[in-house]
Amino acid sequence: MNQFNLLLTIQTKAAIASLIGAVIVISVVLFLISTSSSYEEKHAVKEKVYKARFKYFLFLSAAIIVVLFISLQYIPYKKFQTKADMTVSVVGMQWFWKMGQGVIDKSLDEFEGGNEIELPANKAIKFVVTSKDVNHNFAIYNSKGDLVAQTQAMPEYKNELQYTFPKAGEYEVLCLEYCGMPHGMMTAKIHVK
Amino acid sequence: MIQASSLELRQHKKLVTVWSITFLILFPVLITFGLLMRMKQGEVLNIGHDTFYALMTLHGLGMAGVLFSIAWAALFYLIGTRYARLNIKVGYFIYFLVLIGTVELVIASLIGKFGAGWYLLYPLPFKGANWASWATGLSIIALIVLGVAWLIGSLHVVYALSNKYGSFYKLMGWNYLGKKEPEQKLPSIVLITTASLVPAILSFLAGAVFLVMNLMQQFEPTLAFDPLLLKNLVFFFGHTLVNVTMYLGVAWVYALLPEYTKREWGVNKVVVLSWNGTFIFIMFAYFHHLYMDFAQPLGLHYAGQLASYFSAIPATVVTMFGVIVQFYHSKMKWSIIPMTFLIGMAGWAIGGFAAVVDSTISINKILHNTLWVPAHFHTYMLLGIVLFIFGFLFYLAYCNSEERNDPKPGFGFWTFVVGAFGFVLMFYLGGMNSVPRRYSDYVAIESGNVHHTGALLAKIAAVFVGIILIGLFTMYGSLFVKLLKPSKANS
Repeated sequence: MNQFNLLLTIQTKAAIASLIGAVIVISVVLFLISTSSSYEEKHAVKEKVYKARFKYFLFLSAAIIVVLFISLQYIPYKKFQTKADMTVSVVGMQWFWKMGQGVIDKSLDEFEGGNEIELPANKAIKFVVTSKDVNHNFAIYNSKGDLVAQTQAMPEYKNELQYTFPKAGEYEVLCLEYCGMPHGMMTAKIHVK
Repeated sequence: MIQASSLELRQHKKLVTVWSITFLILFPVLITFGLLMRMKQGEVLNIGHDTFYALMTLHGLGMAGVLFSIAWAALFYLIGTRYARLNIKVGYFIYFLVLIGTVELVIASLIGKFGAGWYLLYPLPFKGANWASWATGLSIIALIVLGVAWLIGSLHVVYALSNKYGSFYKLMGWNYLGKKEPEQKLPSIVLITTASLVPAILSFLAGAVFLVMNLMQQFEPTLAFDPLLLKNLVFFFGHTLVNVTMYLGVAWVYALLPEYTKREWGVNKVVVLSWNGTFIFIMFAYFHHLYMDFAQPLGLHYAGQLASYFSAIPATVVTMFGVIVQFYHSKMKWSIIPMTFLIGMAGWAIGGFAAVVDSTISINKILHNTLWVPAHFHTYMLLGIVLFIFGFLFYLAYCNSEERNDPKPGFGFWTFVVGAFGFVLMFYLGGMNSVPRRYSDYVAIESGNVHHTGALLAKIAAVFVGIILIGLFTMYGSLFVKLLKPSKANS
């Protein structure tokens, strides 16, 4: 079961959950259409439906509490991050990325990061992400084309994203916040060894 | 309830017809902008990136604005002819303001190539580099005009309802929460309209602050505002506007569906609690747009997920089960109108569920700003509120049971629904495959198959848009003729 969970990406899990939801809704619609041809007094219908509604309410409330409890364990914010093995500074600007090891100790104009960087696998890396001009979004894609981590790059703010590359390979950085006409061409490379 | 005079009925019918015809003209135009965008992403149409983003901005602002406006106009008609006296001149004043704002936006986007997106994410409107500065200024002014129109329109409706039904206390149904039910019954449409328009009014005020700050920046470029504050303001404004549009549609479904099922759908304690809950959740759910702004205080991230999750309780436990009570064993005579309401509810539920999935922080960290986002909001807009609107328009157009004898709208409706499901499915598949949103094309992406998957899905989506348009124009064949007929028995 654990293996099954590990194999599914978050994207796939979201799709399966949504598909189940859609199938339930469509089933209810078909059920309502097919049962609407016969007649029953409204108070009798209400009694039946309200019984089901109460059970659904209890189920939904319990499901919300359980899912909240589980899902909030995996949120990406600083308070939930472990100690990082390495820090990488990232600056987004129209329309390219600059990345460099360490914390920026000078102005963003003087920061000499590059559009490509080499990083180790299996090390917790803290990306300190900001922007020089408008909002961008620092999104890391693996070589299979799966989005694996992201945070906004926002002027005047530093967002700290932690990610451990599970294996060596080529990773691509895309901008996922619309930042002007060449937004779709704002890419960078991370070579993981 | 009020007894409107025949003169009032005629005036309201004329006004709502003007709004409806305007909507029916603008809607396919805005869909066509979407079609051009998907064709560009599918690499079958060669338009410039600047044109793509100008169309994207106009499509987003236009759809949100047009859908809210027609939803407000529909309620203006129903409330003004049945529940509380409304000033018809205010209705026309709002119409002309919306028209002026729309024309300004069209000029700014199509001539000035303004393309900062619907949300004018500060400071992008001033740093776009490829659109004229006057176009930024004109867009801000256009949005101020639209915001003022919607603010006045919403205030007028809430004011008229409070004159008729009493204070805010009564409009929100709080007098139902005691041991005895009040003697004066509160119509469900009044409760839902209040619970929706009051948050809308607050969001318009937030939008006004946002737009005035932008206007100041336009005239004084050395000014610098806090981008996180402005992001909060614009998402509170935009998210609430779209959310409220959906709920306004639900308001008239509560009022009109019982005419077909012959089962009253009134207010009771549970319905009051439900819509009071929605009133709160509407205002806090927008925080889920800012999950990837890690600098936002942690408590607000939690608030976003909690409000998004808990909004499912009133929506499904009360409204969806209310729909079941309406239809189940009702022996009703089906026609296009209750069918649009039922399928609209289904579209809202399916899109809403996908939205709740995306409002989970630990899932949003992967799905944020992928095509999953347009997937869920297109589902509950195109297959939710838009169907409610068409239900209302058919209700307006047909006399009593006349709609049951006209097969054209049924064919058009189901064609539209099939096209819309196919269209949104391509967005969901795009989200599953990490295809980013707001990309004019995917050519520069090297990872995996994102480029080719994104382009292929966009091409298929464009075909489904064609099916949507066929369905739409088939429905128009009946709607236009009947809407323009001088008399109408339904009112």
